[in-house]
Amino acid sequence: MTIVVGFSPQKGGRDALELAVLLARSGQPEPVVVTTVTPQHWTTPSMAKVDAEFQAWATAQGEAALDQARQFMAAKAPELSVSYGQVAGRSVPAALSRSCADAEGDLLVLGSSRDGRSGQVVLGSTSEPLLHSSPLPVAIAPRGYRAHCTAISRMSCSYSGTEESGDLLLAVAGMSRRIGGALRVVTFGVRGRTMYPPEVGLGAEDMVLSQWTEQVRQFQRAALDRLNELALLPASASAEIATGSDWADVMDELEWEPGEVLVVGSSPLGTLARVFLGSRATKIIRYSPVPVVVVPAAVASKVAEDLDPTPDPNPHPDPN
Amino acid sequence: MRAGAAHGPELKRTIGTFQLTMFGVGATVGTGIFFVLSEAVPKSGPSVIISFLVAGLAAGLAAICYAELASAIPVSGSTYSYAYAALGEVVAMGVAACLLLEYGVSTAAVAVGWSQYLNKLMDNVIGVHLPDSLSHAPWDDNPGVLNLPAVILIALCALLLIRGASESAAVNTVMVIIKLSVLGMFIVIGFTAFDSGNLSDFAPFGVSGIGAAAGTIFFSFIGLDAVSTAGEEVKDPQRTMPRAIIFALLTVVTIYVLVALAALAAQPWEQFEGQEAGLAQILETIVGSPWPGTVLAAGAVISIFSVTLVTMYGQTRILFAMGRDGMLPRQFAQVNPRSQTPVFNTVVVAVVVAILAALVPLDKLADLVSIGTLVAFIVVSLGVIILRRTRPDIPRGFKVPGYPVTPVLSVLACLYVLSGLSWVTWAWFLLWLAIVLTFYFFWGRRHSELNAGATVVDPDAPTQDDAR
Repeated sequence: MTIVVGFSPQKGGRDALELAVLLARSGQPEPVVVTTVTPQHWTTPSMAKVDAEFQAWATAQGEAALDQARQFMAAKAPELSVSYGQVAGRSVPAALSRSCADAEGDLLVLGSSRDGRSGQVVLGSTSEPLLHSSPLPVAIAPRGYRAHCTAISRMSCSYSGTEESGDLLLAVAGMSRRIGGALRVVTFGVRGRTMYPPEVGLGAEDMVLSQWTEQVRQFQRAALDRLNELALLPASASAEIATGSDWADVMDELEWEPGEVLVVGSSPLGTLARVFLGSRATKIIRYSPVPVVVVPAAVASKVAEDLDPTPDPNPHPDPN
Repeated sequence: MRAGAAHGPELKRTIGTFQLTMFGVGATVGTGIFFVLSEAVPKSGPSVIISFLVAGLAAGLAAICYAELASAIPVSGSTYSYAYAALGEVVAMGVAACLLLEYGVSTAAVAVGWSQYLNKLMDNVIGVHLPDSLSHAPWDDNPGVLNLPAVILIALCALLLIRGASESAAVNTVMVIIKLSVLGMFIVIGFTAFDSGNLSDFAPFGVSGIGAAAGTIFFSFIGLDAVSTAGEEVKDPQRTMPRAIIFALLTVVTIYVLVALAALAAQPWEQFEGQEAGLAQILETIVGSPWPGTVLAAGAVISIFSVTLVTMYGQTRILFAMGRDGMLPRQFAQVNPRSQTPVFNTVVVAVVVAILAALVPLDKLADLVSIGTLVAFIVVSLGVIILRRTRPDIPRGFKVPGYPVTPVLSVLACLYVLSGLSWVTWAWFLLWLAIVLTFYFFWGRRHSELNAGATVVDPDAPTQDDAR
């Protein structure tokens, strides 16, 4: 598995490297490719060679950035095999996608944008488009992220009970067995907003939420049973349901370990081969205090198919 | 892991008299007043004003009884939940049959009324209106094929509910302001054309006419019980609750009576029959130009949309509670994991309500809503008396003032209003009740969670609804 890091020294580059090191060290050491994007030069030649001058400047900038990365990696993780490269492009997301394809990467790691609170995952102009178009899973470090442990201790998989999230769970379970970490199945439920005027009482949505919780508990149990049958259940596995009246409330409900990552699936509504964030996944990412890995529905279903060629035997019928 | 859902709405014991009054006014005004006159005035003439007072009195008394029942039974929800906990399954199923009329059929009725005002608004603003074939039910006075705007409105509301949209307390207040403003405008302009001559033949059909109209008009008072359901979150309910009910009732009755008076004094009562988007029509006739009618129609279109949404929501949540109790197939209580809303339930409600709205004329729907609501209110009033006798010990956040006179008066008032409804309405109602009870005896009884007959409330025992 090759980990590609989109590195930009000012924009959360350090955070991305920290996360990449944590991911690369979990299980078997994985190769890391650090990529930085430089501005593309003007292709029309000019008499005064300003274009060549600009290109030289851009390359120097890129080299300086990569030097920073080299220094960091040499100090932090000298044992990892890391390669460095710069790629020129007008659009950072497009250039990163290209270099992921060139490096045959399996995962793209990015930092958070700087317009947000420290400790939270903040999407910016690079990560946002990639989350809607990348064919690879994308990992995003929270702002100011520092990995205080050497390997991932636990992977939390966001599981809603739909078929797609079942596939994702299989993939995550396989991964957490491989790296020897724990698995936590988490389901997030936001209480529906109260309807006014309250013709059937102010508590109607509490009733819906508690019914939903019962339902999810069954789904989770069935999903863990399925993992067990497939011999994919990691040594330590748990399931939790977080509920609250809004997303911040819901995410605060959970305990997070220092070496934890949260995996969410992209919505199946987008072009199937790509990551496409649903409205719920967007909320989960925004309020996550740990690094988030967003996995495209197609990647998850392919992995799931390899792990379990039989169709989902989950006993719950699709409610609709 | 936090078990179940202990997240009440953010307003715990924070609702005061004003907010509570807004709930009552918001839920009540808009269900009927925009179109009920053209159904009721032909039955009674100008004495429909008395009918409004009678119907309002019955609704107010029932709302007070409702408040006690709601405060005594620690489950959230509708009359169905209270009946289930206090009076047992059979009664609960009967009440559910009534509530399907109060919520489901009234959603259809309100959507049909909306369609009239939408057509009026389109005609005034862009000069286009839908032909009768696409805006009227087949058995209407101007027969058509189906009522398309009503169907579209219901589909839109279903979509919003599936996506988990809701109307906030602030939006409710805005809606109340819109409704009261346009009705206020109607009253002010209406009184400029006050002709007491139009009122001289005050009761052309005598007392029986007043009763008959009261039955139809009762439709416009449903929703007043919204005040009572908020009990657990109300500050000092013993004081706040009756005040809010009375303030809401006074506001609503005053508005209704003034609207009726203005309309009746502006045109001879014989002209009401078959009038569509009636209030807008009357304004145009008075002023001689379309703008006031346009303003009123726009206000009606906006506010009736919200009424449809809220009423339909109520219906889905009642069926949800029934699905949880095992009185209906479980699918009704199934939450879609993706949207986290009861999608199956909402789709079924939307389809049934859309069929009703598309094919049944407004007057038939309105009378069915009235009969269902009145019977449910009688059960509530009797429930207060029964619960005081069977379980005098349980704590009640609110007690009916003037017990036992108030619940008895409430029953009598509702019976009087019921007596005015036509035998056809009664026949449909009894048929419907029979269908629902048959379903219960052949299906619900064997599938229900509590399977025992009558379950009496025990405040110490865990209740069916652990959401509280």
